[in-house]
Amino acid sequence: MTILVIEDEPKTGDYLQRGLAESGFAVRLARNGRDGLAMARDGGIELVVLDVMLPRMDGWQVLEALRGDPATEQVPVMFLTARDEVHDRVRGLELGADDYLVKPFAFVELVARIRTLLRRGPVREEELLCIGDLEIDVIRRRVRRGAATIVLTAQEFALLHLLARRQGQVLSRSLIASQVWDMNFDSDTNVIDAAIRRLRRKIDDPFAEKLIHTRRGMGYVCEAGPAAGE
Amino acid sequence: MTAGLRHSLAVRVTAMFVLIVALAAAGLGTYLYRAFVAEIERRDDIGLLGKLRQVQILLGRPGAAELLHTRPDFFRDTMSGQENSLVRFIAPDGAVLADINAGGERYPVPPAAAIAPDRAAIAGWTSRRGDPGRVVAGIARLGTGTVTVVVARVYGERSAMFARYRQRIAGAAAVGALAAALLAALLLHRGLRPLRVLAGHAASIRPGTLAQRLDAGDAPSELLPLIEALNAMLARLQEGYARLSGFSADLAHEFRTPVANLLGQSQVMLAQPRGAAEYEGLIASNIEELERLARMIESMLFLARAGQDEVLPARQALQALDEMTKVADFFEGMAEERGLRIECAGSAVVLADPALLRRALANLVSNAVRHADAGTTIALQADQRAGSTVLSVENTGVPIAPEHLPHLFDRFYRVDTARGNADGSTGLGLSIVGAIMALHGGTAAVQAEGTRARFTLDFPAARPESARHAAH
Repeated sequence: MTILVIEDEPKTGDYLQRGLAESGFAVRLARNGRDGLAMARDGGIELVVLDVMLPRMDGWQVLEALRGDPATEQVPVMFLTARDEVHDRVRGLELGADDYLVKPFAFVELVARIRTLLRRGPVREEELLCIGDLEIDVIRRRVRRGAATIVLTAQEFALLHLLARRQGQVLSRSLIASQVWDMNFDSDTNVIDAAIRRLRRKIDDPFAEKLIHTRRGMGYVCEAGPAAGE
Repeated sequence: MTAGLRHSLAVRVTAMFVLIVALAAAGLGTYLYRAFVAEIERRDDIGLLGKLRQVQILLGRPGAAELLHTRPDFFRDTMSGQENSLVRFIAPDGAVLADINAGGERYPVPPAAAIAPDRAAIAGWTSRRGDPGRVVAGIARLGTGTVTVVVARVYGERSAMFARYRQRIAGAAAVGALAAALLAALLLHRGLRPLRVLAGHAASIRPGTLAQRLDAGDAPSELLPLIEALNAMLARLQEGYARLSGFSADLAHEFRTPVANLLGQSQVMLAQPRGAAEYEGLIASNIEELERLARMIESMLFLARAGQDEVLPARQALQALDEMTKVADFFEGMAEERGLRIECAGSAVVLADPALLRRALANLVSNAVRHADAGTTIALQADQRAGSTVLSVENTGVPIAPEHLPHLFDRFYRVDTARGNADGSTGLGLSIVGAIMALHGGTAAVQAEGTRARFTLDFPAARPESARHAAH
């Protein structure tokens, strides 16, 4: 999976390259629009992370050129913008951007969105999710851990389902708020923490092996086995 | 024409005034001249008819026929002896009996219709020198027969008099217009003095002296509404400017705390070699501060855009209870930890942008959860009223002093300054609620009674855009 990052701000480019590489992607970095377009045309790129404000050739022009070339028109493009104007977003999406993020954004949010874009096409919902000894029957909305049946409220189930579906991925609080409660704004972070604590009381507290882990400063991840950074 | 002249009120009004005076003078002069000319001509014609009558009487005397043959000059002399008086006597057979015509003028002879013709029988002609002439013919008795008497006259001095009269009228009109122009310019200059004074005052007002007001002083009553409107505008500008500068100061102050934390704790950490766990702790703590800064920036941008009408609410009819229940669910975990219950009641349809409505409700509930006493209930209520839908969030907690109530929706306003933002709030939540309500053309309000605090959102039921514009 090769991602092309086109970003002129040196620190942003560096941390994007490093962070994405550590998340398991091959990353190529271009510091201006023209170089970025040339690298995209060389091929082998599966996704482009594109900054709007670029020297020599801005993000809009790069996007237009990418979409105008049969070799690159299918490559998904994630727009990064510091200007969160409605018409900017509309323009980006009209030109064929697949998603956009407004700076400042959480890095885990970027990774989550990139994974969604790369998954391509409709995802088949797993009917049964298993993490360690936790079993989630998505159709019947039943949760078991070992021999014990766990009763969850609708919201708790939705939260667990999201964490389990994205197991191994760190999910930011704002992503959780958006996906589970449809709250698409940065609200009180304590709300998500409280909801996770409630879920943990039922899923983790009675058991020796913990499945929901806190990644301080980033969010939450659900995975079995010894969790690093706990 | 220069721009200065084109836009000068004084020059324009003066020019109009001069035009009006000149037109009036010319019109009046023309009328008077015409009347004068008509009168003079009438009198001259009557004089001419009188001469004809005189000649007729003379001809009726005994011996007039002999006199006509022997002394035609006698007849001319009876016409006041004027050189420009012409008389001709014509016999019924067309023979000219006598023709007194010293200048040898050629004039037409109108038909002799009657013994005593009227003005209609008088004909006009032009003399050899170009002066106007008048001629009339009448029938007179001469002895036992009749004779046609033709009396004519050239009015040379009359044309000259008319020309002089025309010149004097034109001159008087010109002088009048000139005098009117000077007078108008002078009066306008004086009359516009209050405007110049006003401009001077206005020019001296700077951002630092916005408290000044324009002096109505001895300004004419026509200017008073303008001065009042300008002063009201100044008052609004002063208020907005004060709010903006206060807001920038608040903003800098609010940013200072997280930035100080970031700087301080990072420098302390770097001063000594530390273990990986400590570095991780620092970075995580820094991320928390940075997230708070990012939230503040997002909220500030939202408020700035809402204030400039750049956020357009996509209104739709929503079941208020559904929306309230969603928000209540969101806060359920946090409320439970604090021993609080959230209850939703009431059935109403609210016309609102779902995302904005949820955000406003979430901010109110978040506020209520933070300030409610443990073990109490937070009540969300929807009420359908005539013309509006009112949603309310009520909680029991520390009483809010009445002096805080009018400021609760102000940016960064905190009832308890010591508490700061340690609880993660940005101090912008309620001002965002206010902005969202303004976008919907509604209002946000708060009532406090003892330990009960009740925040209400009043959404107008009507969709028209005018409601929104009226609110701005």
